[in-house]
Amino acid sequence: MKFITVLPEFIPSSTIRDTVNQIMPEMEIVNSLDFEKSDADVLVATTFTKLDREQLKKFPNLKYLQIASTGYDNVDLAYAKEKGVIVCNVPIANKQSVAEHVIAFILIFLKDMIFLNSELKERKNWPLLTGSRDLEGKTVGILGMGMIGIQLAKRLIAFGPSLLYYDVRRLKPEEEEELGLNHVSFDELLSSSDIISIHMPLTPITRGLFNEETFSKMKDGAIFINTSRGEIVVESALINAVKKKAIKAGIDVYEKEPPDFNSELFKLDNVICSPHIAGVTAESQQRLLTETISNVLRYAQGIDPLYRVEL
Amino acid sequence: MRGHEAFADSVRKLDLLPVFGNPGTTELTSLKEIGDYVLTHFDGLSVGMADGISQYSFSPHLVNLHTILGLGNSMAYIYSAKMNHSPVIITAGQQDMRHMMMEPLLSGDLLGFIGNNVKFKYELHSASEISAVLRRAKVEAMTPPIGPVMISIPMNVMDEDSPYKSPEPVKMNYDISNKEAVSAVANLINESKNPAIVFGWEIDLFNAFEEAEKVSEKLGCAVFAEPLSQRSPFNSSHRMFGGNLMPGTTLINLKLLQNDLVVFIGGDVTVYPYLPSPLLEGKKVVFVGLNIDPKIGDFYIANVKLFLRELVDKVTRKCNFSRPADFQTATKIANERERMGITYVMSKVKKLFDDHVIVDEAISSSTTLRDILGYSPRKYFFSKSGQLGWGSPAAAGISMKEEKVLAIVGEGSFMYSLQILWTVKRYNLPVKFLILRNGGYSILKSYSISYSPGVERKDYLSFDLPTEKFAESFGIESMVAGKDLEELKWLKDGNSPRLLVVDVDRTIPKLFL
Repeated sequence: MKFITVLPEFIPSSTIRDTVNQIMPEMEIVNSLDFEKSDADVLVATTFTKLDREQLKKFPNLKYLQIASTGYDNVDLAYAKEKGVIVCNVPIANKQSVAEHVIAFILIFLKDMIFLNSELKERKNWPLLTGSRDLEGKTVGILGMGMIGIQLAKRLIAFGPSLLYYDVRRLKPEEEEELGLNHVSFDELLSSSDIISIHMPLTPITRGLFNEETFSKMKDGAIFINTSRGEIVVESALINAVKKKAIKAGIDVYEKEPPDFNSELFKLDNVICSPHIAGVTAESQQRLLTETISNVLRYAQGIDPLYRVEL
Repeated sequence: MRGHEAFADSVRKLDLLPVFGNPGTTELTSLKEIGDYVLTHFDGLSVGMADGISQYSFSPHLVNLHTILGLGNSMAYIYSAKMNHSPVIITAGQQDMRHMMMEPLLSGDLLGFIGNNVKFKYELHSASEISAVLRRAKVEAMTPPIGPVMISIPMNVMDEDSPYKSPEPVKMNYDISNKEAVSAVANLINESKNPAIVFGWEIDLFNAFEEAEKVSEKLGCAVFAEPLSQRSPFNSSHRMFGGNLMPGTTLINLKLLQNDLVVFIGGDVTVYPYLPSPLLEGKKVVFVGLNIDPKIGDFYIANVKLFLRELVDKVTRKCNFSRPADFQTATKIANERERMGITYVMSKVKKLFDDHVIVDEAISSSTTLRDILGYSPRKYFFSKSGQLGWGSPAAAGISMKEEKVLAIVGEGSFMYSLQILWTVKRYNLPVKFLILRNGGYSILKSYSISYSPGVERKDYLSFDLPTEKFAESFGIESMVAGKDLEELKWLKDGNSPRLLVVDVDRTIPKLFL
């Protein structure tokens, strides 16, 4: 059985190679798919490597594709299904990190951090009044109650807000009770929430879900956070909502990545941006590596790998 | 007919049975012909049971106390019956009048002793007046303001032979409508900028829930519950319900800050502790009802059901209130699960006991209990007197008419009336006891923190009581609940009495300003 890992160019393969050599020395590590063919049975890749039909054709023996990430929308799943390739991701490594990133966005806005920071550092001013508010008692709407949504709810509950969620798959009543969750319709979540955070996968249904109409149903001045997939939000509609409804937006993902830095999005005071990095922390990368390696080792020993993507 | 025969026949004809009591030698003669007797091993518990069953059935029941001593033991319960407007008929034996000059053992000034805690009191002079006095006692108890009455029964009267006339049945009619009141209150409401309606316990007494809801929907304004209502004042799941008023002038004022008119219907103002804010200053305040004794504002006497039925057609829409969906309780439940907070415990109770009558004597948890379990017709009872020890016997009394009764009592309160477990076992009453054990007098500790800082740390305010073992010793099945409260299902099952102890959060709640 042959194994190959494709890392994006910005990740130094030498560091990874040193580690992998001690665990799985037969693993080949490359920084690009710039080759004609590989006879590897197992391919490990990140979301930064596009694995469309053409690229996957370079692996005629491929039986198992491990994506070292939660997301896997870089993979042509239809082709994988056609060829009987098992596709797995690692949905558990960065969920804590994303949840914390969302809370950071929320608190920056609620605590008026941008204003306070600039008053002191830029204007050398000592403001006596601020618009700082508490998270306790606010209503947070979580769209999508998968692993990240659950991690977010677990962390938020200690702050004491009301928690709404919408997901086509409803949790069991005892799970809702434990997490303090109220299941509501999508529209009720939009109209009732002071803070909305998206944790949905990108699908034909969710693509462009947040558009002019959706934003119009939100409360004026609400906080909107997207750390899931950029294409779920129509960026022009978001810009309008920020301008017309005083929506505050914490954005980690974009319609196009890297984004157009001339976009008005980057000029608005009420928008905080991060570069699709909500799930990337030192700790999450360690977890990601561990989970990826252990899943590949599992497969190498003839054990079913975990986290199979439904094809 | 002998006095005791006349007494038994009159009690039966007036539908006052069973008799609740704890007799002594001075009562034995009067009980010769009484068969339907429920014994309690402390006099006051008889009054508590009669209070519960009389309120629940809206029908007076008789209590048999042992002369001035039994009366003394029962005074707190009699005061509670008064505050609860419960039509309890108290009887107490008196020494033989033929040697009263000697001030014999077990004699005393019963009528003077009971004071103004009953609305009618009378000492029998002869057997010939037994049926008339009992009948009058029933009428007096049921006439608004409804409340307890008392008859002193000298031993010699029960042995007297005299002509007897069976009492006529008592028929009460509360259909007191008041068109002037309807017109005046409707005008006030229509002219006000922002009226508030506060409903009280008479809504439950006269089953005026539907009428109250219709008026609230027509007005479109939030409606509230009177402070510490002893019965359900409104259907709290209704979208117009704005919550309970708290018993303090400042707290009431804060809740009704935006209102220029406050109309209390079938309820009253209860305040505790003293707060210096003048109550509802500058607002028009009106009370409507049959039993209440308003201290401020205008008062109209009327049956609240009839009053509301007529009022609904005369008022115009004034507000656009609709209670927002409650999403916050889920957060509290999740946050309190680990430490067994009251919101968590009550949410579990609500799931299983929603069809039960709740008797509330969990004093420091009562606000949360009311919020989570809510109000609905004849489903909530509380003592307006503030007495500890009332809830358990009252629940036992109610359980003689309704098999689904849950008494929720603090472990400190439960000690006041522990002996009720003997009666419950002896008569196999189906009452269920949920004991919230928080390790002390939480209400006192909370009050201390607000008004007497430091006292909350006194060691005598904390205790560890093995309540489940006390129950076992009376032959009552008992358990201590685990964190997931699965034992609540056990508590609910079956028709025999059971007791469940829940070790709840010991954090002292902030209950006072």
